[in-house]
Amino acid sequence: MAALAAEHFAALQSLLKASSKDVVRQLCQESFSRSALGSESLLDITCSSLSVTQEEAEQLLQALHRLTRLVTFRDLSSAEAILVVCALSKTLLSTVSLPRLVDLDWRVDIKTSSDSISRMAVPTCLLQMKIQEDPSLCGDKPSVSAVTVELSKETLDTMLDGLGRIRDQLSAVASK
Amino acid sequence: MERASESSEPVLDAKSQLIDFQWKLGMAVSSDSCRSLKYPYVAVMLKVADQSGQIKNKFIEMTIPQFQNFYRQFKEIAAVMETV
Repeated sequence: MAALAAEHFAALQSLLKASSKDVVRQLCQESFSRSALGSESLLDITCSSLSVTQEEAEQLLQALHRLTRLVTFRDLSSAEAILVVCALSKTLLSTVSLPRLVDLDWRVDIKTSSDSISRMAVPTCLLQMKIQEDPSLCGDKPSVSAVTVELSKETLDTMLDGLGRIRDQLSAVASK
Repeated sequence: MERASESSEPVLDAKSQLIDFQWKLGMAVSSDSCRSLKYPYVAVMLKVADQSGQIKNKFIEMTIPQFQNFYRQFKEIAAVMETV
């Protein structure tokens, strides 16, 4: 998405200062129109409701203008929309940085024999997760750690069960 | 999660066992930088025992899109395991 650059996401951080979601929603609506970028009154309202400088307000309105138009006119597919939401979430999360999964690599092997069993066909999964901790808390140690686990079919099914329950909970929360 | 790929040569030097998998679905309502939030997140804790038997807790927090990607990866693995 060439239309949204890193500095746009940085500018969107100012939205965090909003006192309510309504303020954010209103800003999105106001910034959408063509006239939004030149509007002095919108700039003033943004400055005062978010307690930001004129420059920050201007950058925010520009970013919001692009974002709202991108979402509307490009008719983003759900995958792209998720990317935008994801990037926005990252912006929201950047203040408190908790360990995050940055990479997940896996491989499925078949165990065909062992010293105790001459013939078998047991699938097993080798999973490697790369976890990023808050770099400021790690000091000299690297902030990304890798953990490799071997998962049997049973373990995997148990995990899937748990993940499915999270998914169900999410649907329940979303429908409220 | 930025990307997930089926790697042909993952680093296999130290394989651990997954002992336990705990999860929590939470909602952040406020923070020092954002007064009004309604931000759902998934927190996962993996209890992993390395080859020496030492148990380590690995804690991960994910956004909902990240969780959905995570879930999708595991479903893919399960599907592959089913066919072999």
